[in-house]
Amino acid sequence: MPARKSIRSRASRRIKIRDFELPLTSMMDMLVIILVFLLKSYSASTNSFSSEKGLKLPISKSQEIPPDSLQVVVTPEGLNFENQRIVQFVMSADQLGTEAATYSLKPEDLDENGMRIKSLYDSLTRAREKAELLRAQSKQRDEKGQPLPFDGVLAIQADQRVRYETIRRIMYTAAAAGYKTFRFLAMSRES
Amino acid sequence: MLRRPTARRKKEVAEVQLNLVPILDAMVTLISFLLFTMSFLAIVSIESPFPEASPEINQRKLDEPPLQLTLSVREGETEIWSPFQKIESRKLPHLEPGKPDTASIHEALLAIKQQFPQEKQVVLAPHPGLNYDALVGVMDAARTLEPTDPPIYFKNETTGMDEAAAALFSDVVFGNLLGEE
Repeated sequence: MPARKSIRSRASRRIKIRDFELPLTSMMDMLVIILVFLLKSYSASTNSFSSEKGLKLPISKSQEIPPDSLQVVVTPEGLNFENQRIVQFVMSADQLGTEAATYSLKPEDLDENGMRIKSLYDSLTRAREKAELLRAQSKQRDEKGQPLPFDGVLAIQADQRVRYETIRRIMYTAAAAGYKTFRFLAMSRES
Repeated sequence: MLRRPTARRKKEVAEVQLNLVPILDAMVTLISFLLFTMSFLAIVSIESPFPEASPEINQRKLDEPPLQLTLSVREGETEIWSPFQKIESRKLPHLEPGKPDTASIHEALLAIKQQFPQEKQVVLAPHPGLNYDALVGVMDAARTLEPTDPPIYFKNETTGMDEAAAALFSDVVFGNLLGEE
């Protein structure tokens, strides 16, 4: 009798010693699936473009991934440059609160026959001068030993409701400030 | 005296278990890294240079008139024309106000591309009230070749070989940036 008791107590001790092990195999399976999915849909992008809250970008068939550059974000309410609101649009009084409301630039924000946006021109000029200074200080040189020229690329990210007259003014202003190439940003059709 | 319990059964039960914990750690780190660096916002771009004008360019145009394919998007219609009368002008009415018929524009441009396979540039002159969505739609219709489109071949001047065009009119230039309608 004491011997039987002894065996039982040994068995119970063995049960106590055994650790609880989480079944990791199923978790591994799940993680492998997630990993494969992420690797498949991973697109290493070299830009840091971010979208504004409430901004509806149009959908494009283009497949060109834009490299990093300076960008102007045009929301229906205003114009942002380098994450700062530089121009606030106004809504015409008769359209206040309506769905089809259109915003426009204030006449005092414009010059050169209403084509150039003053504050945008100042911001773009400052950004160009800063870029040129950085290039002059950089060790990178072209074949003639001169600092690399300013690339003059401006990305334009506009809400789908923004009208061409505003985009045209932005392009005009940017060209006056030394930006000669424009990149119109849109959402990929495949996303 | 009781005999010592046999250890044979216990040996059979003992399994070799792979230590999954470090693999799991590596996977969690990898997944976190991928999630942090992944761009969920699939942004694409359409590039357009600022149009350049110079006496030399103008003289060259007078000496040898180019196609200068122009798309004038007006309030109610889109006109496809060439200022040098290289093609017959075509007017395509909008589907609804402010919404150009991009499918018809694409079809018309496809026919022009077959006629001028070397041509890459299109001049776009939208009216000021056109919205950005419609503008991108027109640019897409003018630039992109769909997989269902018939192949267009052109002679590569450097290699001398016939090549299939990858795009319709890839270079979009705005023709009314200085304020004219």
